[in-house]
Amino acid sequence: MKIIGEKINGTRKKVAEAIADRNVEYIQNLAVKQVEAGSTWLDVNAGTHPGREPEDLIWLIENIQAVTDTPLCLDSANPEALRLAIQKVNKTPMINSISGEPDRLEKILPIVAEHGCEVIALAMDETKIAETYEKRVEIIEKVIKATRAAGVPDEKVYVDPLAMTVATSNQSGVVACETIRALKSKYTEAHFSIGLSNISFGLPARKQINRTFLILAMQAGLDCAILDPLDQDLQAAILTSELLLGLDENCLNYLKASRKGLFE
Amino acid sequence: MSKKIIDAIIEMREEDALKTTRELLNSGTPPLEILNACREAMDVIGKRFECGESYIPELILAGEMLNQITDIVKPHLEKDAKAEKLGKVVMGTVEGDIHDIAKDIVVFMLDINGFEVTDLGVDAPPAKFVEAVKKTGAKIVGLSGFLTLAYDPMKETVAALRNAGLDVKIMIGGGQIDEQIREYTQADAYGKDAMAAVNLAKQWIGV
Repeated sequence: MKIIGEKINGTRKKVAEAIADRNVEYIQNLAVKQVEAGSTWLDVNAGTHPGREPEDLIWLIENIQAVTDTPLCLDSANPEALRLAIQKVNKTPMINSISGEPDRLEKILPIVAEHGCEVIALAMDETKIAETYEKRVEIIEKVIKATRAAGVPDEKVYVDPLAMTVATSNQSGVVACETIRALKSKYTEAHFSIGLSNISFGLPARKQINRTFLILAMQAGLDCAILDPLDQDLQAAILTSELLLGLDENCLNYLKASRKGLFE
Repeated sequence: MSKKIIDAIIEMREEDALKTTRELLNSGTPPLEILNACREAMDVIGKRFECGESYIPELILAGEMLNQITDIVKPHLEKDAKAEKLGKVVMGTVEGDIHDIAKDIVVFMLDINGFEVTDLGVDAPPAKFVEAVKKTGAKIVGLSGFLTLAYDPMKETVAALRNAGLDVKIMIGGGQIDEQIREYTQADAYGKDAMAAVNLAKQWIGV
């Protein structure tokens, strides 16, 4: 399971404040902690200030890279911000995200192709978010046609089947898992990632929902997620799921984590 | 008797609520009394939601109960006794954004709280808002947007409504919207959830 650390996200209040105050220490601390907790990438989202996104994104990148060489996942829908930001990264970043929206395919996919990035591909297009897995599969088929045409190999594509909150649609966990199952058999080289916490939006005890959903989605074939790597119970659930799904040879990762006291 | 129906709704007992409605009608309870009891129940649920004791799925179920009860009661209502609408609202997700869940909940909550809502759907350009306000005479407009990219279209929609000389109060909401964004878009207010939207609308029409 690959982990994209979610914490450096300017749509979170404290991070937005840290960006506005240019609080280097706060951001660097988040970066280091998430790396120590096993993040493969660090998501970097500069948040909500209209017009200031490119500048804020670059400030984040420079300060994060000063304390870690873990690659970044540039989280923006703004092609201009991405173009500028990508000049500043030390390691090829992941791009979060493209989708079936023509605008994103036209403007963001070329950046991905040019720089050889990994990319998250959302199972949505410019219309209403699809409620059936069949429709989401169709959208991803279109997206992968485009990524292939642009020369991006399938193994660099991280399909996000979308985790809409179960608070408003109680089928959304099932739809996400079915989308993964259907696409995994068709695109064997592609990866599957999800923005985990959205599934529990608007409900109490969110961690409980997030953790259980992650286990179910891993069974369907999820091999990557944007999540809080500092959540120990979540990490324990991931390791145990990998063990039970036959992904942990000789149980070594599980035993190592046990010795480190992760399950206590 | 109306306490029985209020309790059934508040405690999310859907079948009981519908059964009680039929019983009350059969025993001669005035239909308006039943609808008032429903509104009282919705009020309690709305307040519980505001303070974090109730959650969205319960709001949705309560609304569904209310709709079903209204359908049962409607044929028994005298034509002129139908509940007066409080006021008109035009709602939509702004241009460039297609998120509808939060917007739908706001539309729904305004509706069951007595507002007549014109729903422009998603990706609605400024001209569509202007046209709908002119057509309906609504005094309140709600702009929804989840993406950060929605802020500029919101600002443009507010400007279009003002430039058209329309006397409307405008609220915005969705995603990460806060006071800074309100100021940026020049809307009159922002709301953090559906109940906030209902409270703003009530405040603006003076209920």
